[in-house]
Amino acid sequence: MSSKTWSKWLLILLPIVAGAYLLWPTYNYYRMNQEREGLLGDSAALESWDLANGEDFAKARNARLKLGLDLRGGMYVTLEVDILKLIEESADPLSVDEDFTNILEKTRAQTDNTDLDVLDTYLVNFRASGKSLLQYFPLSSSDEAKGGDPEKAIEEKLRNDAAGAVDQAMEVIRQRINKYDLSEVNIQKQGARRIAIELPDVKDEKEIRALIQTTARLEFKRVMMTRDLIRTFYAIDNVLKGVVAAEPVVDTTAVDSTAKAKDTTAIAKADTATKDTAAAKVDTSKKNANPYAGLSDDEVARRVKRDYPFSYMLTGLFAQSEKSSFQNFDLVLKKAEDFPEQGIYNFVVSGTVLPQFLKYLERADVKRAIPTDLDIVVAARPEGTPAKDGTPEFYNVYGVVREADLTGDVVTEAFPSFDQSSNQPMVLMEMTGEGGERWAQITGANIGKRIAIILDGRVYSAPTVQNKITGGSSQITGATSPEEANLLAVVLKAGALKAPVKIIEERVVGPSLGEDSIRRGITSSILSFALIVLFMLAYYVWGGGLADIALLMNVLLVVAGLAGFGGTLSLPGIAGIILSTAMAVDANILIFERMREELYAGKTLKVAIDLGFEKAWSAIIDSNLTNILATIPLLIWGSGPVRGFAVTLLVGAVITLFTAVVVTRAMFTLIAASGATTFNIGQKRTA
Amino acid sequence: MDLIKKTNIDFVSSRVAIFRTSVIITLIGLAATFLPGMIDLGIDFTGGTQITVKFANQSASADQVRVAVGSIGYGSAEIKSFGSTGEYLIRVNETGRASEISAAIVAGLQKSFANDTVTLLGADNVDPKVSSELAFDSALSLFLATIIILLYVAFRFQFAYGLSAIVALAHDVVLAFVISVLFNKTGLLNLELSINSLAAYLTILGYSINDKVVVFDRIRENREKHKGMSLVDLVNLSLNETLSRTIITGVSVLAALLVMVFLGGDVLEGFAFTMFIGIVIGTFSSIYIASAFLIWYSDRVQHKNVGELHTKKA
Repeated sequence: MSSKTWSKWLLILLPIVAGAYLLWPTYNYYRMNQEREGLLGDSAALESWDLANGEDFAKARNARLKLGLDLRGGMYVTLEVDILKLIEESADPLSVDEDFTNILEKTRAQTDNTDLDVLDTYLVNFRASGKSLLQYFPLSSSDEAKGGDPEKAIEEKLRNDAAGAVDQAMEVIRQRINKYDLSEVNIQKQGARRIAIELPDVKDEKEIRALIQTTARLEFKRVMMTRDLIRTFYAIDNVLKGVVAAEPVVDTTAVDSTAKAKDTTAIAKADTATKDTAAAKVDTSKKNANPYAGLSDDEVARRVKRDYPFSYMLTGLFAQSEKSSFQNFDLVLKKAEDFPEQGIYNFVVSGTVLPQFLKYLERADVKRAIPTDLDIVVAARPEGTPAKDGTPEFYNVYGVVREADLTGDVVTEAFPSFDQSSNQPMVLMEMTGEGGERWAQITGANIGKRIAIILDGRVYSAPTVQNKITGGSSQITGATSPEEANLLAVVLKAGALKAPVKIIEERVVGPSLGEDSIRRGITSSILSFALIVLFMLAYYVWGGGLADIALLMNVLLVVAGLAGFGGTLSLPGIAGIILSTAMAVDANILIFERMREELYAGKTLKVAIDLGFEKAWSAIIDSNLTNILATIPLLIWGSGPVRGFAVTLLVGAVITLFTAVVVTRAMFTLIAASGATTFNIGQKRTA
Repeated sequence: MDLIKKTNIDFVSSRVAIFRTSVIITLIGLAATFLPGMIDLGIDFTGGTQITVKFANQSASADQVRVAVGSIGYGSAEIKSFGSTGEYLIRVNETGRASEISAAIVAGLQKSFANDTVTLLGADNVDPKVSSELAFDSALSLFLATIIILLYVAFRFQFAYGLSAIVALAHDVVLAFVISVLFNKTGLLNLELSINSLAAYLTILGYSINDKVVVFDRIRENREKHKGMSLVDLVNLSLNETLSRTIITGVSVLAALLVMVFLGGDVLEGFAFTMFIGIVIGTFSSIYIASAFLIWYSDRVQHKNVGELHTKKA
């Protein structure tokens, strides 16, 4: 085979391989999902399946071709930040009078059905009234200190709040929805004031609405990380042990119960044996008689999970003092008394078991096992930068006081900044006068200790108090990136200002409609496609066969391309695929008709092939390019469905140019090169 | 197979009459659609709340559903049956909380029709503000897409060709729209104008421009091949030469769409129907609208000598 022939074969085969590669996760996902769904009733089998296949399943799920909500069912919500409400809430409630309300109402009437900027319109209306902003809106202490025009400063603050409100609402909603473990939630900022949320597989719409619209709760709580926390972890183990044992996961055979008896004696012995120095004691497991000795790794893992259902998920970090370095330890086969009383404790939980961990914490019996003055909370974000290679991420686990030392409504302002001396990102926070006083008391009494900043039950930061903070202005350092500082500022502001959002669009597609439409859509599409394939075969015989191969490739590549780019296939997307398939068919028909013309004119096969492609080319490129160019405004300005159509049409038209011209041509060239002098493209037989 | 032999049909002589007839029909149809109550705007464009429910045993008639929904407190609700029997679309003017309204209606219907099972197929709630923006965005992007088509065709061919294409495209989309609106009144398919049906009109636009470009491409080629041939002759020759392709492509795509009209289910059928009529119109308009306009424009506006048809005896 000559190198030229080789390259033709490559042109034909390579895209097929690439397409199959991109679609492999999609196939894998649906196969595994079916397998998994078969196990849904059986929690033990499901757990072991998840353990064995969970990672592959998640990977396949991320890379698969996603279906739009119109095809699979789900809920779609568009939220808009209510700027007027925000203005209303920013105002000092004591100063609000009829004039103030009138201006708000007037602005609402003007902006309700127009595209006018709400804040600008409000400010214009306000100016027209001849009043001063200062009369209604409090001036922050830092702005006061800065001097300058107070009117401008308030205007600036309103603008910043309006701009930040969307980010704030997004962060709050994201955190809450993640808590519910709804798979594949998509949250997107739309323009300056809107948030679009797509939730597939929603079972209870009411719950989601409540979730989205309740306001966030910001709290400051002292961190309590002592040996007592470990005692609590073991207490939770004890509660869960009975529950988990009752589940069919663990078989409680006679052998097991004796093993358990051995366990306790072993630990009791270990307890009396270990009264050495702290650092050495942290890792005690080696010294103790290991009750799991001699068991297979799987069996050990199973028993650890059974005996320490809660604490096995935790990894501890211990340092004797601030100066010494941290050492890792685990909690399995130990007792609280094994650990030193003095020292700094930290705990982390792996992201892979986090949902289970949080589920346990929600249980009423677990809550009862936690001392009344203590609460266990988890960080909102994993430690450090997210790992790309799939290694698990770790979330800090904190013990905090149960009663909030201070709630977020005392925060008046928070913004990201940079530390002048170290150039590190930090957050500046200001509090009301009353809040500042309490803050001074709290910080004064807890120098060197940590205070957790908690929004909706998740910790965003737990800074160490450096000194007593008086006057209500605090600096929070320790953010590792400007983004992190930004997020923390957003969170702190959530305490000051409840970004008011309203639902302006809500769509629910019932799963039954989704299922039915997928089934019928797929069946009819396959039938339509088969019809075209047969028609081409009947009309253009062998040529039609080649065109069919190109057509199959076309559809394969469009769908694969969509999966590869992380696109979503929706109903309008199907329209785009229909159009691009129609144009691919047309391109082949154009070519074959030209070839026939040339063959009738008495040209040889090779010449007819060349001329056929050459002459059809200008029509094919012009029609496809026209469509490609026309998709551009649709992509830029079109909303959801229009854009969905444009994406598949764009991908489809580009691929049509490739398959219908390059690939079909490569196939014909291979045939001509093989020495054939006749080829049946359904032309009349000439004598 | 070779069904379409070399043809020599006189397309151009009847062009003026057919062009006029088609445009008049389109305009009358367009006027008719603006009679009150003709256009079924979907909730995407009107705003409001719309829910679709299914009665498993098909025991409820539309009137019974109307009464039942009225008794829940939505007296002004609009009830439409669609798709398979037992499926109803209920539209309420209120824009509030879709899930609350839908839950109330489903619960109320279940109570009124205790021996049937009512399932919620879908619920949509669109704020009027969103719907007006949606309409504006769609119109803007469509307008700009048309301008781009005009510019590209004018650049690759001539301005007259670009303009002819746009005239034909406008004709196709409007006529397809008119037929959809009228057909919607038969109640056989749900063809109300929604943001999704917009994609169907975009498909018509895309297919139609593809068809025009193929014909124009032949004219461009023949202009070089037969120097001195009059425009009328060129157009007629090119239409004949591309006829077999036009018919074969059209028939195969239409056959595929027909399968979707009958088997595509609630979601695809209306979609496929609009595309089907659009493609029939688009194919027709390549011959009688785009080409006819091209000749008229070159003759009357550009004052070129377009000549008379010289049909060679075959």
